[in-house]
Amino acid sequence: MFCVETNKLSHSFQGHASVLNDINLQVPKGSIYGFLGPNGAGKTTTLRLLLGLIKKQQGEILIFNKSLQNNRASILQDIGSMIESPSLYGHLTAVENLRLLQKLYRCPKERIQEVLQTVGLPNTGSKKASQFSLGMKQRLSIAVALLHKPSLLILDEPTNGLDPNGIIEIRDLLKKLNAEQGISIIISSHLLSEIEKLVTHVGIISKGKMMFQGTLKDLVSKQYQSSRLILETSDMEKSKAIIRSLQLNGTIEANKLLLPVPSKEIIADLNRQLVNNGIDVYEMSAVKKDLETIFMELINH
Amino acid sequence: MKKRRSFASWLVLIGGFFTATISILIFLCYPKQLLSVHASGHFWELMFQKSWQSMAFMLLPMGIVLAVSLITQLEFKNNTWKQLHTTPVSLTSIYFSKLAVIIVMMLQLFILFNIGIFLSAVIPALLNSKIPFPNYPVDFNYYLVENGKYFIVCLPMIAIQYLLSLQFKNFLIPIGVGLALVVGGLIGLSWEHIYTVPSAYTALHFLQAKNNVTPAHNLILWSLGYFAFFTLLGYWLYISKAEKG
Repeated sequence: MFCVETNKLSHSFQGHASVLNDINLQVPKGSIYGFLGPNGAGKTTTLRLLLGLIKKQQGEILIFNKSLQNNRASILQDIGSMIESPSLYGHLTAVENLRLLQKLYRCPKERIQEVLQTVGLPNTGSKKASQFSLGMKQRLSIAVALLHKPSLLILDEPTNGLDPNGIIEIRDLLKKLNAEQGISIIISSHLLSEIEKLVTHVGIISKGKMMFQGTLKDLVSKQYQSSRLILETSDMEKSKAIIRSLQLNGTIEANKLLLPVPSKEIIADLNRQLVNNGIDVYEMSAVKKDLETIFMELINH
Repeated sequence: MKKRRSFASWLVLIGGFFTATISILIFLCYPKQLLSVHASGHFWELMFQKSWQSMAFMLLPMGIVLAVSLITQLEFKNNTWKQLHTTPVSLTSIYFSKLAVIIVMMLQLFILFNIGIFLSAVIPALLNSKIPFPNYPVDFNYYLVENGKYFIVCLPMIAIQYLLSLQFKNFLIPIGVGLALVVGGLIGLSWEHIYTVPSAYTALHFLQAKNNVTPAHNLILWSLGYFAFFTLLGYWLYISKAEKG
């Protein structure tokens, strides 16, 4: 069951080329969905479309299985969001900012102190929001998003500008919210290192197109599948024949044999057979593509 | 709540008492001016007209341009339009509730202005024994009707300014256009078709009331018509905007 689904979502701004092409987003309920892509890929545009901040041109948007166009108020009642920079009234205090939204969402007054406690801002007193540090503003924005107990959080680069401590705290907070309260979270970022420590599902967008969508496990297995065993021997052709006899496929590139990484037992067997056939083994190493390389290959495809 | 400690709130307070403050200073320095009002036999009506002179020509139209722009700028400046547009509040409610806030602010301005008229009559008498205390009966009906008329004739400017300030993030554009309309209205006061220019209505009404002239064109109806037109046009433009926040 998906809490967010888009079908052939496309968008272009007036006078400009298309920024989104047939985006089919599928965010499973209860997941933490990392929406990854380089700057200008279309992440924020997609999130703005999901929230109705941009008028949809083509495609379909379903949130909680309901069309956004026809159920705007009921859908937004159940979504908390933070798009790009924090949206706070600088001349008001943290409590006053939350009180404004408490009235709009008609949630209990007690929630104000609860969410401030949750994000670690319980005692800001009469300090105006304009006097907050960036980290405090980000936290207050998350408090605003949580105020009405949404079942879906949409956060656009929430750790932007935070120091490492702040990033860890926000990450732990989001994991906690997901684990304890079952809140589904869509979080966009251009930093894979941040996302892979937090999410259960990943969507990678580049130049307005979805390049990958699946669980983090799927992305990691892609990493494994694209790893290679490099072999350098004294007789490449004979080595290639031995590899074929073990039902492996190898290619010779730059005087080295490349093949998909087999199991440990097969590697040991291959090595034994090469040596027993009088072939000198100069090099046998596995090259594992890291997630970053996979990510770069996907977005540069 | 959003207006709390904002410049828009201060503008209403300052705007409401500005004319009164100047009048008090003038009456203290030149008591003959106030004494002539006492001698007229229509004290409170004359005080009302005197106070409205500067208000009708410059202060009220300019105050509307600034105050309306400041209210919408609160959201642009704080980057909160996107937050507002992701709440489960209909766009219609957002549009009309902000307009209601602006209209209530104008009402507050009018109330403060009228309190200022009273104070500008009383304070000089308290500070200068040569000036008699204004113990005259107040024609509340006159004040109510005239304030009501001034309020109605400033509604079109409110609607126009609201429309402009919602469309442009850069606040200089609505303020620039608004001030240009105000100045243009003043320059064209003698034009035969000036009744079609809403920014001139407060000044026009003042002149008609002062000279006791029956106008050829009903400014009240024109004001209500323009207000309805620009409010609905502004609403349609707001709803149709492709990108919100």
